[in-house]
Parts: sequence; C-alpha cells; structure tokens
Amino acid sequence: MTDQLTVRGLRKRFGGVVALNDIDLAVEAGELVGLIGPNGSGKTTLLNIVSGYYDADAGTIAYDGTPIAGLSPHRLARIGIGRSFQVTKVFRRLTVLENMLVSGLSDWNETRSVATERAMAVLDDLKLTRLAHEPAGNLSGGQAKLLEFARIMMLQPKLVLLDEPFGGVHPELKRFMYERIREWNANGVTIILISHDMGSIFGLCRRVVTLSYGDIICDGTPDETRADPAVLEAYLGDRHDAA
Amino acid sequence: MSLLAISEQAINGLIISSFYALTALGLAVIFGVLRIVNFAHGELYMLGGYAYYLAISALGLPPLFALLVAAVALFAVGAAIEWLLIRPIHTGRIDRPEEYAIMITFALSIFLLNLANSVFGPWPQRPEPLMRGRVEIGELIISGDRLAAAGAAIILMTGVILALRYTWAGKAVRAVSQDRTAAEIYGISVQRAGLIAFGVGAALAGLAGALIGPVFNVTPPMGVVPVIKAYIIVVLGGLGSVPGAIIGAVILGQVESFATILIPDPSRALAYKDAYGLLVLVAVLLLRPQGLFGRAERRA
Amino acid sequence: MNRFVSMRIAGFAALALGFAVLPFAGLSDYWIYTVTIGFYYALLAASWSLLVGYVGRISFAQAAMSGLGGYASALGVIHLGLPVGLGLLAGVAIAGLVGFALGWLTLRLHGAYLGLTTIAFGEILRITVTAEHGITEGSLGLRVPALISGGSRFDYYYLFLVVTAACLVIMGLLLRSRVGLFFQSIREDEDGSASLGVNVTLWKCVAFAVSSAFAGLAGGLYAHFVQLITPSMMSLQEMGIVLAMAVIGGFHNILYAALGGMLLQVLLEMLREVEQWRLVVFGLVTILMLRFAPNGIFGTLIDAVASRRKRHD
Repeated sequence: MTDQLTVRGLRKRFGGVVALNDIDLAVEAGELVGLIGPNGSGKTTLLNIVSGYYDADAGTIAYDGTPIAGLSPHRLARIGIGRSFQVTKVFRRLTVLENMLVSGLSDWNETRSVATERAMAVLDDLKLTRLAHEPAGNLSGGQAKLLEFARIMMLQPKLVLLDEPFGGVHPELKRFMYERIREWNANGVTIILISHDMGSIFGLCRRVVTLSYGDIICDGTPDETRADPAVLEAYLGDRHDAA
Repeated sequence: MSLLAISEQAINGLIISSFYALTALGLAVIFGVLRIVNFAHGELYMLGGYAYYLAISALGLPPLFALLVAAVALFAVGAAIEWLLIRPIHTGRIDRPEEYAIMITFALSIFLLNLANSVFGPWPQRPEPLMRGRVEIGELIISGDRLAAAGAAIILMTGVILALRYTWAGKAVRAVSQDRTAAEIYGISVQRAGLIAFGVGAALAGLAGALIGPVFNVTPPMGVVPVIKAYIIVVLGGLGSVPGAIIGAVILGQVESFATILIPDPSRALAYKDAYGLLVLVAVLLLRPQGLFGRAERRA
Repeated sequence: MNRFVSMRIAGFAALALGFAVLPFAGLSDYWIYTVTIGFYYALLAASWSLLVGYVGRISFAQAAMSGLGGYASALGVIHLGLPVGLGLLAGVAIAGLVGFALGWLTLRLHGAYLGLTTIAFGEILRITVTAEHGITEGSLGLRVPALISGGSRFDYYYLFLVVTAACLVIMGLLLRSRVGLFFQSIREDEDGSASLGVNVTLWKCVAFAVSSAFAGLAGGLYAHFVQLITPSMMSLQEMGIVLAMAVIGGFHNILYAALGGMLLQVLLEMLREVEQWRLVVFGLVTILMLRFAPNGIFGTLIDAVASRRKRHD
C-alpha cells in the first residue's frame, strides 16, 4: 500500500515555544490513525499545517506523492483533504442543507440539483434529515459536530483529519459518530483522528501516534501505546504506577 | 532651509502633535478596555469644544473652569454612551456584536454631528483661549494660545498616564485591557472599567476640542478631520498602547509638517496634506497591523 | 420554499410595476426628480448591503466608489470624447477594478481594522479628486454632459427605474447562485468555508469588485443626470447617509436596503423644512435600529408577517 500522507522534518515554533520538533510521519491510504497527546503537544498544530491553515517553519508534506506544503486550505479540500474543527465552524445563519451545499457546490462541475440530492442522502445517513431547513445555529453541540462530518462527506475526500470530534458529545451520539467513522474508513477513506477519548481511540484505531511537546514519542498499536512508559509519563508526569 | 524655519516647522509639528496625541489617547483608552474603535470620537471632540464655548459664553466662566466643565460634561456623555450602546455587546444582548460594534459608533457620529449642526448652527465660534499673546524664544515666535493649549494637553496626558499607572482605577483599567477574563476573576468590575474608559476617553477628546476651539474655531464638523489623525496615530502606535499613541502622534505631526515641504508643487502638496497620514495608516494596517507597540491580535 | 421564492418575485414585480405607474399618478416634476435620485440611493444602498450584509466585509468606501465611477465617466466623456454609454461603462470598470484592489489589500483585515482601512482608502480617493482640481475642478464641482441630451424628467425616471431594477435582479441572481452561498459562508466562518473548498481570497475580492462596480454605475448615472458632481459625494457624511439608508431598510437584504434608500431619500425631501433635524432623526433611528431591530424596517416587518403566517399553517 502506498503512503498517502508523508510528513518529513516538520518544524513549527510560535514565538519561543516549539510546537513541532522535526516530525516524521507516514500514513498509508486507508489507515485509521489516532493522534493523541497531552494538551499543548502539537496535535492541532500538525493538523492545521497539513490542512493548510499554518505554514511550517521547515519540512515537507506530500500527499499521494505530490508536495502540498503551502497550499491554501481550499485547494487541499479540492484535492481530497477534509477536516473538522475542535470548535465547530458550521455556518450558523445558513440552513443545514445550505451548509452542505457550500461543500458540494465548491466543485463547479456539480449542479445544484445533484448536490442537493447527494446532500439529502448524506443527511439521511447521519439522521439529520428533519433538520435540513433549520438554521445551523439552532443545532445542539452534538448535531453541529455531525453537520461538520456531513459537510466533509460532501467533499468526497480521500483523507480526513478530525479534531476532537467527540468533544462534549453525549454518549449515545458518540456511539453513532464512532460507527460512522468506522464505516467511513471501511469505505476507503484515510482518517487521522485527534481525541482525548482513549476508549474511542483504542477501539477505532489500529495505529496510535503519541505526541508530547512537539515530538512523536510513540507510534504503534493501542496495546503498545498503553504499555509505553513514555506515553504514561507524558500524560501523568513521572508519579505514575506502571500497570 | 534655514535652521529657524526648520525649528519653526518642528515646533509647530510638536504643538499639533500634542493635540492629536490628546485625542488619540482617548481613543487608545477606549480601545484598550472595550476593544472597539470609537468612530464617534471626532464628534465627542467637537462637543467638548462646544461645551467649553458655552461654559465661557453662557455661564461666564473663566477658561480654566470652562475646561473643567467640558471634561466633566464629556465624561458624562461618554459614560452614557457606554452604558446605553456599548455595554449590551458584553452582556450578550446583541445578535451580531462584531458588525454592531463598528456601525453603532459610526451611526452615533452621524447623529451627533447633525445634532450639533441643528442646535448650534454651522457658524464658527471662537471662544476665549487659555492664554493670549505671543511667546518669543530667541528669534522663534510662537502664538501664545497654541503654546498654552499644547502645554495644557501635555499636562493632561501626563496626568492620565500617571493615573493609569498609580491609581487603583487606572490599574483596574489596565488590567481589563490586558485580560478581561482574568480581571473579572480577580474581582474587578469590568463593567465599571468599561464605563470609566469610555468616559475618560470622551473627556480627553472633549478636552482636546476645548483646547483647540479657541485656536481653530468651534464648528460642528471640526472633529471630522482630527479624528482621522487620531485613528492614524493609534494604529501607528498600536491600538491600545498609550506610549504608542504619544510616539505615533509625534511621528504624524512631523510627517505632515515636512511632507508638505518636500513635495515641489506647493498648492498640490498642501491639498494632499491629509493624505500622507492616510497612506501611513494604510501602510501600517497592511504591513504591521499591531503598530509599533501593540499586541499582535488577529482581529480588531 | 418554492412558495416563498415566488412570493418574493411577485413582491418585487409589484414594486417595479408600482414605480412604473407612479409618474402617471399625478406626480409633479419635482417628485419625479426626487424619486429618480431615490433610485440612485437605492442602487448604492443595495450594493453596500451586498458586501456588508451578505459577505460580512464592512466597508466605508462605498460613497467614494460611487464618486469614482461618476468622475471616471464624466472625465471620460469630457476629456476623451467617449459617448456617455461608454463613459458609464468606464466608470463601472474603474470602480470595479479599484474595488477588487481594495478587496485584495484588505484580505487579512477584519472588523474595525478593515473599517479603518476602507475609510482611509475612500478618503485618499476623495482627497485626490479634490486636489487634482486642474482636471476635476475640485470642490467647485465638475459640469457633466447629460446622459440623455434633451431628456425630460420622465426619460430619466424610467431609465433609472429600469437600470436599478435590472441591477437588483442581477445582484439577486448572483446571491441566489452558489456564489451567494460562498459569500455567506465567508461571512459566517472563513476558515470553515475554506475547509470546504471555497476560494475565500478570490470571492472576497470579487465581492468588493462587484459591490464597487454597482456603486460606480450608480455614481455615473447620478453624474450624467444631475450634470454636476463634487467631491462631497465621496465624503464620509455621504457614506453615513448610505449606511443609515441600508440599516434602516434592512442591510442583510439587497431589496430592503434599496427600499431603505428610496424611503429615506423621499423622507429627506418631504421633511425639507426641518433641514438639519432630518439627519438627526435618521441618525437616531439608525442607532435604534442597530440596537433593537437589526433587520431594519422591512426586515422586521416581513419577518413578523412570515412568522404569523407560519403560525396559521
């Protein structure tokens, strides 16, 4: 299997703080990778750089072999990289359907009627159909997160970066999202998932990458990660009890 | 150019700067605490001029007292504006706070300017200055009213800076402008800080207008051009930075003074005078939006 | 949804028809002139609301763009011998290009920083027009050749009506298309919008360009109708009037903003005797609208009617 995303030597500082310190990461097409680490470890920074919102200070990023560092977010979305945000960025004064259409119609080859059909199908899949004409601002937190998923799906992406999708979502909805993510991945979409919800991460992902203070300190299976002393130390400090 | 001429230009520049600085200081204080650009600042300046004029002509007060009246009156006006129009932004009563914040003070400026036009009429008034006559320093001749006004402006600014530094209210205001949430947690009433900030900002603008009124006339549109200078200064110095405002004022004063000389065609050079500062404004906003001393913020 | 859309079209058509027959309802020449100027403000207010209401980019340069179009057209006709139609086109093109440039310059600016830059930009334009009095006659005012030589007030009225209506239709179609969705997504959340494939940079510039182009058209029409223009049409005071018109009408909708422009222009004339107090009242009403009824008169009215209908359904 070919590498879909290759990150080499990625560095980023904010003022005096090193957010990413020479990161090397390769993700194969079709993987479902969990990205964990304590607050401030650089997870969101990595995501923001790969999705085009920040420029790295050094290093390269390749997507399906082509370099993409420095491309703007909308270009990356067009070539198949989708992302969600930690704090949802739904268009509050547009309806749910209109939110979807922005995504669908950003491809000029797609007509409005086709996009609407596709949008309703995705909304159906995510059980949001009855909210289609509701302003997105009226949605609950969990529903808004689902809407973000839905919008990303409209892009028909090949690589999806999810930033804390389960944050503040109640358990039943979390279960639903969990299944959708798994299904998405089963259909061939590569997913990198940032979360603090260890249960979901270890359940969904066969590979977990752990960041701490800008370095990758572990890259392995959930079991390997759980047992890794560096990971425990990063999360708990060195006052932990080895299991 | 002769040394004398240069000195005259420089001193005139400094005098004008002191007025600009006083106006800009008020703007800086308001932005620092409330994070809004007060687009009605020029009209508060103008109202200060009228308050001073009325205090002298209608109440018969001597100039120094008239200044006090102008300051108090404008503080009250500023506080009222904050309480009625600005506070709702922070108490969550406004649907679209970002747009509202920008447009409400712009609308206020329309209202105030035309109100002044209707109540006072468009005719210029020239109230009594703080000091008449001329001051001679060697071969340099400076008009007394300007000098006194500039001196008063400098004293006021120093007073405000000292107050911000050493009084409790001043420290509270600075705390809120640095970190609103943290200040609130420490028990500072951010509402009151906002009220004080707008009141003081308005009073400073009003004092500037009151000081300049005797020099350049009091008319309803008198604030329109000066406020733009204030924006330039505050952006140049860094929105919310007090020392920045002072330095920005000095720079602008000098730029205007000398740019006029440097352009060969005299009549056009003068006509474009106001544009130099505007170009500085645009350049700063595009190249270094946080100005000389401001914090790099993503938005205003 | 379809019913809602056809109601809007019917409403617009009714309005257009109403204005079309108005001169025959016994309107004096004076009022025909007034309403013609009203069309100018309607177009200007609508063009402003496109940028501010739909894309969420605050600009105080609208009046300056109008003047830019007016002067460009006038000078093109006077000094380059262009026929008026071509002059108007030149005005539109120049305003559009300058607008695009302003949009590009202000890409990274938001909120008050954006507002300040547009103020500065507009003022620089106005000062330049005033300073170059060799060409523009500066504050004395420039005499402008007529749009319709020997045209009556009727002629101009209908021309303005048709052009304004056509422009509103064009703007409406644009806003209803995917571009309109892109515009609104930018207003709501730029980062979110970019993440979905919207070229935020491009559309911000286009929005400024389109808004300025329509303003330039309005300015050109005005110039060749009144046959005299001065830099004061580019002033911040004029900008304040346009803002008041759009806000009072309802600046999140181009039609409401346009109606606000017409309404205030008519009121301004009706209240001629009270002179300065008119603007005081408008200023006050604008403030109250912003504070309590941000959807404007027409926005609030239509919302009230729509919600009452919903309750009946």
